[in-house]
Amino acid sequence: MSTSKKINKEIFFGSSILGLYLFWAIGWFVYSYFIGGSFDEPFFPRSNISTELISPFSEGYFLGTDLYGRSLFQVLSAGLCYSLGIGLTISFFSAGIGITIGYLSAVGPKFLRSFCDLTTNLIFIFPSILIAILVMSVSGQSFWGLVFALVVTGWPGYARISRGETLRVMSLTYVESAKAVGVGPFRLFAKIVLPAILPFLLVHIVLGISGVIISEASLGFLGLGGSEYSWGALLSNAKTVLLEAPFMGIVLSLSMAGLIIGLNLCGDGLRDYFDPKS
Amino acid sequence: MTKFLHRLSYSAFTIFLAVTALFFVIRMAPGDPVEKILGPEATFEEITILRNQLGLDKAIHIQYLNFIKDVGTGNLGDSLYKKEEVTGLLKKHMPPTIILALVSVTLSAFFGTALGIWAGFKRKKTFDNVGRLVSLIALSFPIFSLAPLLVIIFSIKLNILPVSEWGEVKHVFLPILTLVIPLSAVLMRVSRNKYLEEISVPWVQVLESKGLAPFQILLRVTKVCLPTILNVVAIQLSVVLAGTMITETIFDIPGMGMLLFEGIQNRDYPVVQGVIIYSTVIYMLIYFIVDFLNEKIDPRINS
Repeated sequence: MSTSKKINKEIFFGSSILGLYLFWAIGWFVYSYFIGGSFDEPFFPRSNISTELISPFSEGYFLGTDLYGRSLFQVLSAGLCYSLGIGLTISFFSAGIGITIGYLSAVGPKFLRSFCDLTTNLIFIFPSILIAILVMSVSGQSFWGLVFALVVTGWPGYARISRGETLRVMSLTYVESAKAVGVGPFRLFAKIVLPAILPFLLVHIVLGISGVIISEASLGFLGLGGSEYSWGALLSNAKTVLLEAPFMGIVLSLSMAGLIIGLNLCGDGLRDYFDPKS
Repeated sequence: MTKFLHRLSYSAFTIFLAVTALFFVIRMAPGDPVEKILGPEATFEEITILRNQLGLDKAIHIQYLNFIKDVGTGNLGDSLYKKEEVTGLLKKHMPPTIILALVSVTLSAFFGTALGIWAGFKRKKTFDNVGRLVSLIALSFPIFSLAPLLVIIFSIKLNILPVSEWGEVKHVFLPILTLVIPLSAVLMRVSRNKYLEEISVPWVQVLESKGLAPFQILLRVTKVCLPTILNVVAIQLSVVLAGTMITETIFDIPGMGMLLFEGIQNRDYPVVQGVIIYSTVIYMLIYFIVDFLNEKIDPRINS
């Protein structure tokens, strides 16, 4: 990986889109905790029956209002903060667990290897959404319930990649020489293997965040989400008023697609960037 | 033959593990299912009767043995809400899902592969660039945000396709379109990348230097890409066959996804269990068939 490589178009456009969304989310966060409300009582969009389903760009509402009369822009912003928070938290935990287990199943003792392989494959072959639905429907709907459900289904993907990459890296000469001079297993993982496999995992983490945001919204859409501001929950509201207020569905769909396009572009761009063949 | 048996036993073992995991996840979850089913106003007697009826008053290992015995003999219990056998409900909800799955996966397998291979063939040209952009955008609309947009365009603005009321042929178009777009976008990306990976291999260069027409080479390389594409199609088929919960709830289709959705909403545990066991069996079956087909198409896998 030479440093002279040029940043490609995908990374440029993807990170610009992501930057806009991050700016929006941070702006809303600052507003709701420091300007419009306080830390004890953060600002949240209030419902108001008299202003229900106002179309965009009218009566002082930038994006109109939803079916509870809340400003759609405010609801959308709260949902964005929630989605990004969920996406980052879950990806952090899944990637952490997945990388560790993947490493262990590549270099650990035999019983550990087969055990890790079996659990990884068992969870991996089922569509994650089905397991998440099952966990959510029995564990109840809460933030940590959601995190648990999506981490349980998220880590096997990372474990597989981490295992494959570790196996590839372990046969390289500099890792073998590190082992030969007696570097311990923890140090070997943290100082030698992890930095080598991290670039490839980064691609999957970026794509994984968009996957988590979609899964969370799917659960929200089915009424199993962790927050009423989940974009999925908002879209399932929009679905019921599709005839009266199509703008709600359009605004929500497009803003969600924008965020996911940004993440996918970044992921694709990073993959090309780290690809040794290009 | 031994290999066949080995694989069969592996599939059976996986189903057994999945069923076991399902049993313990539902039993170990916080909260008493009986109290959840009956609600907060239930009397102690009602709770005791239902608990007895569900067999939840026995020791956990006896419950587990009974559960395994029931599942093994194909008895999935009765729905708590609909007063009907779960197996009967499954049979009733299968046809719509099977129609939806077969049609949409076939269409997307055809279009996705054709577009993807063609994009790989025309690499870095306009068709490829536009195709990559379109597939990226198509992938960025999850089904539940794509479906409302399609409904707004085709049902509300253009008024050519109806939304709900399952039963007539024209009601099938919109749900199928909703499924075909993301499925074929995935396949398009997979087949394009696989094609580009294969054409850099020496034997393709030999064909080129022998002066074979580009189209002839395209056909030969496509044949090599097929196992990978087949695997992706199989995964897609198993996912859609398990019930496209979101599509089915949006378009009011009485399929497996709808059954699962209603089961969750009504806390109808036997139904949820039944649908998930059905999905597990479907996955194992499809993986089993694909493993078998892979060997037939590509003899290298066997060795």
